[in-house]
Amino acid sequence: MKIRLKLFFALFFATLGMFAWHAPQVHAATTYTIGTDVTFPPFVYANSNNKYVGIDMELIRSIAKEEGFKVNIKPLGFNAAVQSLSSGQIDGVIAGMTITDERKQTLNFSTPYYESGIVMAVAPSSKITSLKGLKGKTVAVKTGTQGATYANSIKDKYGFKIVTFDDSDNVYNDVKTGNSAACFDDSAVLNYGVKTGLGLKIVTKPTDVGQYGFAVKKGQNQKLLKMFNAGLAKLKKNGKYDQIIKKYTGKAATTKTSKSNSEGSTFFGLLRQNQKAILSGILETLKLTIVSIICATIFGILVGLLGVLPNKFARGISTTIVYIFRGLPLLVLALFIYNGVPSLTGTKIPAFVAGIITLTLNEGAYTAAFVKGGIEAVDIGQMEAARSLGLPFGKAMGKVILPQGIKIMIPSFINQFIITLKDTSILSIIGILELTQTGKIIIARNLEGFKVWAIIAVIYLLIITLLTLLSKWVERRIND
Amino acid sequence: MANLKVDVTDLNKSFGDNHVLKGIDFKVANNEVVVLIGPSGSGKSTLLRCLNRLENPTSGKVSIDGKDISNTKTNIDQARENIGMVFQHFNLFNNLTVGQNVELAPVELGKLSKEDAAAQAKKLLTTVGLEDKYSAKPQSLSGGQKQRVAIARALAMNPDIMLFDEPTSALDPEMVGDVLEVMKKLAKEGMTMVVVTHEMGFAKEMADRVVFMADGVVVEEGKPEAVFDHPKNERTKAFLDKVINV
Ligand SMILES: Nc1ncnc2c1ncn2[C@@H]1O[C@H](COP(=O)(O)OP(=O)(O)OP(=O)(O)O)[C@@H](O)[C@H]1O
Ligand SMILES: [Mg+2]
Repeated sequence: MKIRLKLFFALFFATLGMFAWHAPQVHAATTYTIGTDVTFPPFVYANSNNKYVGIDMELIRSIAKEEGFKVNIKPLGFNAAVQSLSSGQIDGVIAGMTITDERKQTLNFSTPYYESGIVMAVAPSSKITSLKGLKGKTVAVKTGTQGATYANSIKDKYGFKIVTFDDSDNVYNDVKTGNSAACFDDSAVLNYGVKTGLGLKIVTKPTDVGQYGFAVKKGQNQKLLKMFNAGLAKLKKNGKYDQIIKKYTGKAATTKTSKSNSEGSTFFGLLRQNQKAILSGILETLKLTIVSIICATIFGILVGLLGVLPNKFARGISTTIVYIFRGLPLLVLALFIYNGVPSLTGTKIPAFVAGIITLTLNEGAYTAAFVKGGIEAVDIGQMEAARSLGLPFGKAMGKVILPQGIKIMIPSFINQFIITLKDTSILSIIGILELTQTGKIIIARNLEGFKVWAIIAVIYLLIITLLTLLSKWVERRIND
Repeated sequence: MANLKVDVTDLNKSFGDNHVLKGIDFKVANNEVVVLIGPSGSGKSTLLRCLNRLENPTSGKVSIDGKDISNTKTNIDQARENIGMVFQHFNLFNNLTVGQNVELAPVELGKLSKEDAAAQAKKLLTTVGLEDKYSAKPQSLSGGQKQRVAIARALAMNPDIMLFDEPTSALDPEMVGDVLEVMKKLAKEGMTMVVVTHEMGFAKEMADRVVFMADGVVVEEGKPEAVFDHPKNERTKAFLDKVINV
């Protein structure tokens, strides 16, 4: 038993270590990790080959080339990107971020690289033509954007309510479906959207004009900031800057994109067009699921066993672990581990490792609870009979109690495996490019929300079916 | 003193506020068969379970073969190897076959090789009349068969003393005889035994001594004929009247 426990521990940490080991390589030499929001065309989005493109992407890449450094782009989403920046998980953020005094408290901005104002967009059939028409209505905005700040500053004056979403696509859809009467967003973004067939109309002139800047954490990565400024100046001088802006806001670019949209608007078209992205999303989801299941099962069994030890202290630890990690929402736990812990300790945790730790703790807590329950469901007389023969606790547990308890636990294990698979989707919040995040990114480009989510849903069901079949097969083998 | 197998002095056991054993003195000599009787809830099982520390005494001393069982420093697993126990509800290991039930402890504790343990298991199963059940699952046995396997399992560790807690009360009447038969055989071979039972026939025939407990104290003890035929205490009389008239 003791040897097996040690083996469990060794395996557990070896698995974690394997992933942690990759971390330094990402940050080696002159490679900077840049967070962004790839659902923000024309500044950042994934094109039909699922390459990250847009004004921000071309700028940062051209600047990197000019200044001789490398960038590693992390598609985190706006909110997570800013949080990861302040916790030191990433080196910089370029995501159409407006320079504000508030943000300057914690961030250092580059010289502005773009100027944009906030406009209001409504559904094509809407009769609203000005801010006055919003009285008593609901307005959709994207979390943490300048559009949101602007909407908040005028909501009392014009008497409307605000709903916030994490992705632009959800903002626009809420307006299209009529749940919200209007949305506020950057004029460049909305202009681009309208041209590419977003299905909304812009009804106000740009106001609250703001400037976009590249950001680093205050007082850190100053070298990177200097290089960005120098590179930007060079691009402006040599005409490359104008070229990039024109490419994404001029007529030529937008018509090309809308054409590629129409090519893949059937289910199979969408599947074929996004084949590579979806496949790598599936792979990432599977990797997360498998590693999490292994780690969570080992962790859960250990904590569960701790909970049935004839030792008050051990049982207390077990109960506390289960209480904490079963009680915390998975989302909070993921953000805490990925953003909270590094800002305290100063060490970076790769998103994948943070994801595995999150799932291991959360799913492990549930596993521990039913492992403990399964063991306790075995008649107490079995333990007494084993102990009365002189078998020590560990041997009695290993030879008599666990084999019976595991049979009781198997359905719970299968259930937990499926929940783990589904819960990997929550890790899209820390920018892991698994299936859900892949879906979000594809939709940000082509706005085919219904079809893409339908595809993603079917894929999840397929994987779950496979996982269930596999588990049942294992169950049958154990029960024989 | 040297001949005492069990030496219990001033044993007290409480479950919370419930004071169950109230200063018990209880001795068993080598090769002695002691039958423990008493009304339900009087503490018979608790006393028996204190003898191999399935229950921790609240105070007092329990010695088996001179080993201080009540001392937490004593290696209780080693001590238990010499104390066989048979339960009312058999408690056969449901995940193992009959043979494996009997072999588990000697093999796991390094007493016998697998082959020797198997040979011993077959021999013990023959003694209890179940040689043909070696490969059976416990679930397929009748209650009486289960209890005889449980006895064989306890004997596999070659104990010096056997504790029985109402070994026949969960059995259909026609099964009782087979189990008692095995126990009598054991007694005749000189096994030291402490038996909690309502089988007065067995007590009269086999017991060297009968101990009557009530309400957490030993009320009366003596030779079976003395206790059964000429009980001195009123409570003993009342109890025996009830049991024998049933
Ligand atoms: N684990 C326990 N926790 C709390 N109370 C207990 C426990 N075990 C026994 N008791 C209590 O101790 C008292 C004596 O129980 P015990 O089982 O020793 O009686 P008994 O003489 O064996 O009775 P029976 O003939 O019914 O088996 C009872 O009041 C019982 O409720
Ligand atoms: Mg009892």
